[in-house]
Amino acid sequence: MRWLHLLKANTRKEYIELKRYLPNTIAMLLTFYIIFLAMFAGIQVIGDPSTQDMNVQFVIVNYIFWYLAMVVVQDIGWQITNEATQGTLEQLSMSPMGVWKIILTRLLALVLVHFLIVVVLLYLSMLTTGQWLNIDVLTLLPILVLTLISMFGLGFIIAGMSIIFKQVQAFLQILQFILAGLVFVPLSVAPFLAFLPIVKGVDLVRSVMIDGIILTGIGFGDYMIILFNAIFYFVIGLVFFLNCERMAMKKGLLAHY
Amino acid sequence: MESIIEVHNLKKSYKKRKTKEEIHAVKGISFSVNRGEILGLLEPNGAGKSTTIKMICGLVKPDSGRIIIKGLDNHEKRLKALRHISAVLEGNRNLYWRLTVRENMEYFAGNRGFSRKEVSEQIDGLLAEFHLKDKEYELVNRLSRGMQQKLAIAVAMLADSDVILLDEPTLGLDVETSYEVRELLQHVAHDHHRTIIISSHDMDVIQDICERTVIINNGSVVTDDRVENLLKLFEVRAYSLTLGGLLTDQQQQILQQKFPLSQYIPDTYQSTFEVELEKSEEIYELFDIFKIESTPVEAIDRKTVDFEQIFMKIVKGEAKHEMAPSS
Repeated sequence: MRWLHLLKANTRKEYIELKRYLPNTIAMLLTFYIIFLAMFAGIQVIGDPSTQDMNVQFVIVNYIFWYLAMVVVQDIGWQITNEATQGTLEQLSMSPMGVWKIILTRLLALVLVHFLIVVVLLYLSMLTTGQWLNIDVLTLLPILVLTLISMFGLGFIIAGMSIIFKQVQAFLQILQFILAGLVFVPLSVAPFLAFLPIVKGVDLVRSVMIDGIILTGIGFGDYMIILFNAIFYFVIGLVFFLNCERMAMKKGLLAHY
Repeated sequence: MESIIEVHNLKKSYKKRKTKEEIHAVKGISFSVNRGEILGLLEPNGAGKSTTIKMICGLVKPDSGRIIIKGLDNHEKRLKALRHISAVLEGNRNLYWRLTVRENMEYFAGNRGFSRKEVSEQIDGLLAEFHLKDKEYELVNRLSRGMQQKLAIAVAMLADSDVILLDEPTLGLDVETSYEVRELLQHVAHDHHRTIIISSHDMDVIQDICERTVIINNGSVVTDDRVENLLKLFEVRAYSLTLGGLLTDQQQQILQQKFPLSQYIPDTYQSTFEVELEKSEEIYELFDIFKIESTPVEAIDRKTVDFEQIFMKIVKGEAKHEMAPSS
């Protein structure tokens, strides 16, 4: 039950801040929409007309996932850095719930609150391009959940780095391009990338949304890969974070910035 | 009296980033805190107090030694031990400035696993007690520093923890708010039966509200006694004597030799001689010196010593006394 209260508190905080700073939220939404328009225009101008529709659909899925990855992975890094600067990080670190649980609920809260924005962006981009994707919730849900779990693992790694190094802003800027790389890379080009976080998940989502594949149409091996990735990256991320927390306690870094 | 916090032989050292030189921030500190007590943890700058506080809060891991909070080792059972402790370490910086007063309280309670419903009544009560009810829906960044400080203390109270640690609770506050915060802390300790540990450089605050002080210098505890005892101990030895006329050179020489901690302020009509005696009996020796030239002693006043002077003497090593047991 305490878990639930923790999740509720963090989701509410996230929602309040997005709502209270609505112009900022709208600006963020517009920025992403403009980035999408730029990609769409690029395909229209220099893309191969025979594969144009396919490319547009490809870009819609990728950029939606890019947004989600940015929100989950990058935002947690910004949050930790800000909390350290503001002086609230030490309060979080003193919670009897354990700081990793707070981080996890923050990651979940980010997904829950930003999901609405993701839906708005998705429909806005489909409306703009006239390309209507297959939104099969039943098939998409397990893929999305498992992909998000591996994203959480990355989020924990970034949170751990932020606790130790504090000044990670430059790295976070670079991270958005790394995330774009993971999301935009077509798996057919480099199949071994399936074991990197996010990549396989986005590939399967593309199969569902563009090619219309249904739940039973996805191979057992594909499910196993995203399941393995989810567990592997989540465990790696959590272990990394807990070690960073331990190191920060040993070196007295939890309250410094 | 029951100890709620026991600190045993705590040690912590750091390596300097560039020179790799080892700095011993805390060198084997031991003390205990009784339930319901207001304890002042004092030190000159950089003498190990902040590290000690952060180790008690579970933010810094000691190299060796143990901290027992309500029977729980705060390293081995850190999260369980943290249930009994909350802290205001950076005052108004411990709050979310973009949330309102009530939202802050609800958020921090949520972070300790409480639901909004569970703490709703408690929040109402605390807002009323801390005179923040009319600011309930105000953003924290719009509050005065004093109000932010009061809110930070109220947030720490919400956790239902037995011990509240406060680092510089009156720093940057105006006189009126500082007094209000002092009254609040006394109210919290006595009416809510919480144990309070305060670290502050404001000795008035310590003298005013703390029952006992632990003074740390160079990473070690140099004094652990009740504030009342310290004040009495130093008060009885400090005198100001009003003399009718001047002392001779011979008298001044003897006085300087016998009482190095003294000050002579000459005046043709009424000189003053201020002295701190190590033993009460020394007053007779003093009178013997005045008697040599029949110097009239017109008045003897016991000097009032404030806690700041006592603290300075202790950390400078000018005065020592036996440490009293913590209970």
